[in-house]
Amino acid sequence: MKLIKKQIPLAIVFVFGVLTLISYYIPHKKSVDFMEMMNKWENIVAAFAFFLGLISLFYSHYSKIARKVDGWGYSLFVYIGFLAMVVPAIYCHGKQMDAAGKTALGWSFSFIYNPLSATMFAILAFYIVSTAYRSFRIKSLQAFVLFVAAFILILGKVPLGQIIWTSVLGWTGAGVDQVIDWIMSYPAVAGKRGIMIGIAIGAVVTSFKIIFGIERQYMGKD
Amino acid sequence: MLKEKLQKFFKLDRRWIFLLLAIVLFAPIIKPIGLPNKTISRDVQNAYTYMDTLAPGSFVLFSLDYDPSTRPELQPQAIAMIRHAFQKNLRVGVVTYIAGATGLIQQAFEKVPKEYNKVYGKDYVIFPYMANAVAVLTQMSSDFYGIYDKDQDGTDARTLPVMQGIKNYKNMALVVNITGTSMLDIWVAYVGDKYKVPVIGGVTAISQPGYGPYLQTGQLKGLIGGMKGAAEYESLIKQPGKGTSGIDSLNLAHLLVLALILTSNIILLIIKYL
Amino acid sequence: MSETWMIAGAWIAAGLTIFLFSFLYKDNPFFKIAEHLYLGAGMGWWFQVYVYNILGPKVWTPLVVNHDWMVLIPAVLGISLVTQFIPKISWISRYGFTFLMGYGSGLAIPASLSTDFINQIGGTIKPLSMMASMTPFAIFNSLLIAFGVVCVLFYFFFSVEHKGHVKTVSNIGIYFLMIYFGAAFGNTVMARFSLLYGRFDDLYTFSDKHYFYASQLIMLAMVVYFLVHNFMGKDKKEVTEDEAAG
Repeated sequence: MKLIKKQIPLAIVFVFGVLTLISYYIPHKKSVDFMEMMNKWENIVAAFAFFLGLISLFYSHYSKIARKVDGWGYSLFVYIGFLAMVVPAIYCHGKQMDAAGKTALGWSFSFIYNPLSATMFAILAFYIVSTAYRSFRIKSLQAFVLFVAAFILILGKVPLGQIIWTSVLGWTGAGVDQVIDWIMSYPAVAGKRGIMIGIAIGAVVTSFKIIFGIERQYMGKD
Repeated sequence: MLKEKLQKFFKLDRRWIFLLLAIVLFAPIIKPIGLPNKTISRDVQNAYTYMDTLAPGSFVLFSLDYDPSTRPELQPQAIAMIRHAFQKNLRVGVVTYIAGATGLIQQAFEKVPKEYNKVYGKDYVIFPYMANAVAVLTQMSSDFYGIYDKDQDGTDARTLPVMQGIKNYKNMALVVNITGTSMLDIWVAYVGDKYKVPVIGGVTAISQPGYGPYLQTGQLKGLIGGMKGAAEYESLIKQPGKGTSGIDSLNLAHLLVLALILTSNIILLIIKYL
Repeated sequence: MSETWMIAGAWIAAGLTIFLFSFLYKDNPFFKIAEHLYLGAGMGWWFQVYVYNILGPKVWTPLVVNHDWMVLIPAVLGISLVTQFIPKISWISRYGFTFLMGYGSGLAIPASLSTDFINQIGGTIKPLSMMASMTPFAIFNSLLIAFGVVCVLFYFFFSVEHKGHVKTVSNIGIYFLMIYFGAAFGNTVMARFSLLYGRFDDLYTFSDKHYFYASQLIMLAMVVYFLVHNFMGKDKKEVTEDEAAG
């Protein structure tokens, strides 16, 4: 049992990991063909992974309704929302457009999913403003440097800010767009590049750990 | 006495700030301020120039990977770049790896091709959504049709006139990736670097600073960032759109944030030294 | 799609948008309904995309029409993931997961090495080798990047104790990080506002006579709701206070 529960899965990770890794460096027809097949497989397996999320969402709301917990009525709307997309999709075979224009699915996307999803993220704009007012404190030199960079960026991205910059700091001869270009091309690059190199090292190490079966948390408990 | 009064400012109900923001952002939509974007950043100029100098008939692959949550920033970028490609008579192929993008792609192609009398299948083609970008991107390097054997309507992709002579990345002049996710990193790492394909990115303003290193090394040929980038591209192709009107509306809101940060810090200073 | 459908759509879209925004004033049932609809609609949208774009053309057609039995392997690996929910046999899902992890790690190693490590170091060093042909300002800028990258890396070097010169260098590294974070914050503000602008722009469109003033009327209805609710809420409070007093 240990063999099929543990050792074979670990062997799978090792074999597929090593084969994929070396295929990257071997420009041979065989390795290209192998990668081609792996890519197709991966595409299919990954599609099934979506159902994990779907099932657990459905299950959690189903149990809320079944147990009639507080506000269980809202859980019904999860299913209504789901059907509002899937029923039109079945009706028009997943097509959003036809010769006559928008199909029922196209309509559901434009007038239900699109406003919901976009508004959810738009709400964050309000919170960023109130946070800026309440918690952006310039208490140290480091915070001051952060503030100056943010200030220049926020100011220089809009035409009105550019006008203000020119009338106050125009005498320096440097336009705010040039200053932004400079910040983004040099000091910010240095900061970001340090982070990138750090993450790259971490990613490579973790990947090796996974291939060699040292890191196996994703497999869950026995 | 004054100190206590000032401290009250910090206890201000945040809903007043919400209201203030709503007003300064909504008012210019009803009555535009009339201050369009004037400056062009270097990275947008580079993107424009690269596309502009491609030979007519070249194939450009657009990977449009954004969903409604980032539409206001990215859809104007995509429309401006597609317009530019059509102006220059380039062939356009569209792929996506974000499930929410397919609806937006349809919305974009409802109008734009008609403006330039472009025909589906002959001048442009849209491919269906695919999961797991890394696998698909790697696959396209050897045989494009290994994954995309059919277009979104189920037509055999090999028979489409727009796809003539296209087998893999070697036959493509440029990849344009517009995304609100880390798709651009994947395009750079798995395609741009490995197969030496020129890549231009279009990203949200949030992720824009993160791409500085790729621009400096030339791993990216150009970058359009946020609504400002869209407005810049629109002014380069001389077709003002949602990016241009968007920037106009953001004028006051940007100044509001700066004013709020400054006010709260000045109040804090006064309280401290009073 | 007929005109009537477009107008109905505008009412629904405006309604859902305003319901979600109403949370900014106060939590309320309309917000909760819209929030739950969002969860379901998102899942529904992805579901149909997966079915019509992948499972149909990549699994069903090859199996049923072309009898390409190789497709069974990834399909079975995929289905194995779902055993996750049945504790007794959840170990079967390991087959699917280990395949995904192995493949993913194998691809990630060469890509991170070349793109985010070797190319980044190359990009830092390369300009230094061409100094002879550069202007003094360009030389300063390339040195600035090189210096900054080194300082930031020192900051991340947790295995070396931060004191003396190491501490100075890593402190300078913090300033480069701060400039990057400041730039990122500035851009975040712009990005968030752009999204909000997008919603307001749609609401403005739907406020037109053509859509029978959808935005205004729904907004008005929400205001009335909050007024009535506040009014009734106060009544209730007074009652309970009276009861308490009694």
